[in-house]
Order: sequence, then structure tokens, then C-alpha cells
Amino acid sequence: MQANGSAFGGVTPRLTADFTVRRPDFCLHVRLEVGAEILVLFGPSGSGKTTTLSAIAGLIEPEEGGITLDGETVFAKGRAVRAVNVPARRRHVGYVFQQYALFPHLTALENVAYPLRGPERGVRAGELLARMNLTHVAAHYPFELSGGQQQRIALARALAAAPRVLLLDEPFSALDAAARQRMQGELLALQLELGLAVVYVTHRLEDAFAVGQRLAVMRDGRVEQVGPLADVFRNPANQHVAEIMGIPNLLRARVAGADGDGLVLDWDGLRLVVPPQDIATGSSVTAYVRPEDVKILYPDRPLVDAVRFNLASGRIVGSNPHPGGRILQVLLSNQHLIEVRHSSYTYVPLGLQVGDEVRLSLRREALVVIGQA
Amino acid sequence: MIWHPILLSLQVTAVATAIMLACGLPLALLLARRQFRGATFLEALVSLPLVLPPTVVGYYLLLLLGRGGPITEWFGWRSLFTWGAATLAAAVVGLPLLVLSARAAIAGVDPALEHAARTLGSSEIEVLWRVTLPLARRGILAGLVLAAARALGEFGATLMVAGNIPGRTQTLPLAIYDAVQNRDYAQANRMVLLMTVLAFLSIWVARRFEQPRRLSTLSSAAEEG
Repeated sequence: MQANGSAFGGVTPRLTADFTVRRPDFCLHVRLEVGAEILVLFGPSGSGKTTTLSAIAGLIEPEEGGITLDGETVFAKGRAVRAVNVPARRRHVGYVFQQYALFPHLTALENVAYPLRGPERGVRAGELLARMNLTHVAAHYPFELSGGQQQRIALARALAAAPRVLLLDEPFSALDAAARQRMQGELLALQLELGLAVVYVTHRLEDAFAVGQRLAVMRDGRVEQVGPLADVFRNPANQHVAEIMGIPNLLRARVAGADGDGLVLDWDGLRLVVPPQDIATGSSVTAYVRPEDVKILYPDRPLVDAVRFNLASGRIVGSNPHPGGRILQVLLSNQHLIEVRHSSYTYVPLGLQVGDEVRLSLRREALVVIGQA
Repeated sequence: MIWHPILLSLQVTAVATAIMLACGLPLALLLARRQFRGATFLEALVSLPLVLPPTVVGYYLLLLLGRGGPITEWFGWRSLFTWGAATLAAAVVGLPLLVLSARAAIAGVDPALEHAARTLGSSEIEVLWRVTLPLARRGILAGLVLAAARALGEFGATLMVAGNIPGRTQTLPLAIYDAVQNRDYAQANRMVLLMTVLAFLSIWVARRFEQPRRLSTLSSAAEEG
């Protein structure tokens, strides 16, 4: 598994960043490579995402490290390297700020024309507005525009400067769901059309899935894991990543040994079998199982092969609706809670109620060990 | 008789305003955007003329401009009892009004806008010229109008450094004082009325500048449809 960004499918990196920012109460260490793609920088607030963008854009100066854009070193500092710090205005980085940072004293058209020079600037700005379907608001001031329109003006203004890389800081968080979806579609189209390198910062996993090709998970000023979105989601590198990704049913267990079926874990009295892997008996591990991989067993049917491992019994203590079904909280016999995602076509015939006893199977193949604690 | 003090006052106020703008704007920028040791001290120093008796300000200016003072010694400018000294006195007492107002206005400009301008290729001068100053314009202009009004009305410090020489350093406030001393109330009334109107106008204009622009543009935009 890739723990940093040093390889990403053989695409030439447009942006490489490897730097350290030290503050009295915070230390940020970033290592990233971005090609012509949308890299989602994902993590809880305070994890250093915005600081990372500011350093790439040249708005703050890291204590050491290096940043290159299209092969040009725009920042270098440290032992045995010649110090370089290209000012923000010469980095050609498009930056869309969280609150858009549109110039309130300029119209939409003037905002987009801001970075342009020469007699053609009005025409060029008009073209960009047309590209964003905003010609009708060209003469409006930012405060007269809706959030989605402001967002698109900010994007058009950043693109007007012909950036080498586009940085988006929580770009669509202030928009309603419909506008967000539309903007995400437009961003994907733009990225493809212009072959842009995009770094997209968000703390919402839904946003990451909507636009992301690769995901970099940040926590406490560190990049914990970088990789294709699905990979990171399916195989979180460690417990922190799993927690940040909101993966429920994390469990801490002890390796009890191995048998013909695989590795045997002892989860506070519940025997769990996971696929064979090389972990020493006696060590403590963290594992998880996704709610949809916990199966509720029909009492009147024989156990099929897929669910014959990891049987557990418990009592339903909670039930919440979920698109296409319900999420049940089940208190297991070992006094741990587990989440079960249950589609309505099985939920309805079983007639499950809070307080009912159920038998579950934690599918062996879906029980993933993610690290030794 | 009344025209000379009026013209002299206008001349003194105009030059003093130019001096205040040239010194006050950089000071306001410095205080609003830089954190440095002694910032509070500098701000207190600039604000001092607001609370000091004019005679104390005048006394310091006497030391500065008088024989043996640095201005005379270093620059050879013998300004005491000329309109130049009156101008300097007017600028010193007006300056804090401009600096405090401009500093607040500049500090109110969202630094993210300046950052945005930098990423869009603007140099620091350009950021100042195209973003910071236009956005802080109203606060700066309001401060400038009040500072100019204060400079126009300056009396105490002016009396100490420029004297009260009719036809040479007698500004409008000094002429009013003289008129009252000489019981020429008709003359005094005219000049008092003029000063009152000017002071009222400047306060009114300054308030107009300070009002948020949003409302006016919003209504005009609504009219355009």
C-alpha cells in the first residue's frame, strides 16, 4: 500500500510538494504529487489542508522543503539547497478561496478581467464568463450574485490567469445540494477539457466521492495516505484514516492464533476469523467490518458458505432509516455495539424491532485488519 | 480685510491636507497591516495631539522649528512666524484623525482579498492600488475630510509658532479672535458663520463617506432591474 504520493499511475507530476511548516502550536508536513487530475485533500478541520494550499500558492513560507510547478522549483529551503521562494504573483497558481474572495468593488466581469492584461482583456473575460454561463450577470457586483454564481466567478477569475495548477479550498461547501452537484459536474468537465492539475480541499466525504480521482487523507498536519479513492476507502492504511473516513465498526482485538480458515482473533470473548495473514499471535490489532457486510441470518434457513464464519448473537438497540433500508445498532453478547446496514427487502419480512434478538455473521472476507495497535 | 484670512486658511489647509495624506496613509498602512515592536507607542505618539492642549503641541513645534531646533539646524528652514509653520501646526493636529480612520478602514479589508490579488499576479503596489485602497477608500476619505476640517480650525498651536500677523500668518480662526478683541462683531459674525458652515459640511460629507456603500448600490441596481 502506498503511504505517500510518490507514484500515481505513471502520470507526469505537474505539482510536487514536500515541505514542513512549523507554528508554535502546529506542525505540518506534506508530501504530495499531483498530475493532470483532481486530487482530493481530505481531512477534518484543523488538519492543515488550507495551510497546505497557502504554502503551494506562496502565501506563506514553509520552514523547509521544496515545491515544484511544471518542473520549475518555486520554493526550496533547507540544508544543502539554494533557497528559492518565488512570490505568489509569479507562481501562476489559481486559488479559489473558501469564501471566494471576490473583489466587492468590482463587477463580475471586472473580477474575471482582474488578472488579464492588454487591450483584449475585456473580450477574454467575457469569453470566460460565457464559458461559465454567466454573461447575464457580467455587470453585477458580487453581493448581488447567488453563492453558486459567486463560486463560478471565482473559478473563472482563477482560470483567467492561465494557472499551472488550480487550488480549491472547500469550494462548494456553501452551496445547496443541487448547486453543489452541478458545480462538481462543471469542475470535472473543466478538468478534462483543460487538462488541469487540481487540488480540491474538503472535509466532506461526499464531495471527495463526487469529484475525486485520488484521495490524500490528512490528519494533524500529516498526509496519512494517498491513493485512488476506492483503494483508500476499501483499505485504509491505519485506524486514523479509517476513523477520518467515517468507517464504523472499528474493533480492537487480540490475535489468538491461526487455523485452517485463517487468522483467529479474540474480540473480548467473540471469536472472529479473518483471511490468513502474517501477524504474530498475541499482538493487538485494529480491524473493521462495513455495516453492509454484517449479515442478519434468517432463523429458518441453513447457513450458506459465505456466512458460516464469525457468528454472533445480539439485541437490536437502535434502528434508523437509511436510503434503501435501515441502519441497526446491535448490542453483541460481548457488550460491543455494531452497526448493521440492512436493505428493506430483508428488513420487512423479518419484521425486526428494537429489542429483538438477532443472529449475525461478520463476513470473513469483509473483516479487514488495518493495523497493529 | 476678510478675504486675506480666508485665502490664507485655504492655502494652509490645502498644503496641510497634502502633507497629512503623504504621511498619514503610510502610517495607517503600517499600523493596520504590520505587527511590530513599538506599534502601540507609534500610534499613541500620532494620536497625542488629539488630547494634548494646543499650547503643548505648539511648544513642541517651537522646539522643533525654532533657533537651534533640528529643522533650522539641519535643513536651514527658518519657518517660525511664517505660513509654513502654520501649515505644519495644522497638519500635526489633523493627522491623528486621518490615521485612526484610515487605519480602521484598511484593517477592515479582508486579507483574503489581498491574497487573492497576489495569486492573480499582482505586486504589492498593485494590491494596494487596485484592492486595498479602493476598498478602504471611504474610511480614508472620511478621515481626510475630518482632518482637513481640524486643520482649517487650528488656533492654539498656530498662534504659538506662526503668531497672529495680519496679512501674513493670520488665518481665519486667528482673525476671528482679533475681530472679537477689537469688538468688530459684524466681521466676527461673518467669519464665525463661514467656519460653522464649513465645519458642518465636512462632518456631513465625512458621514456620507462612512455610510456603507452597499445600500446605495443595492437600490440603484434594483432600479436598473
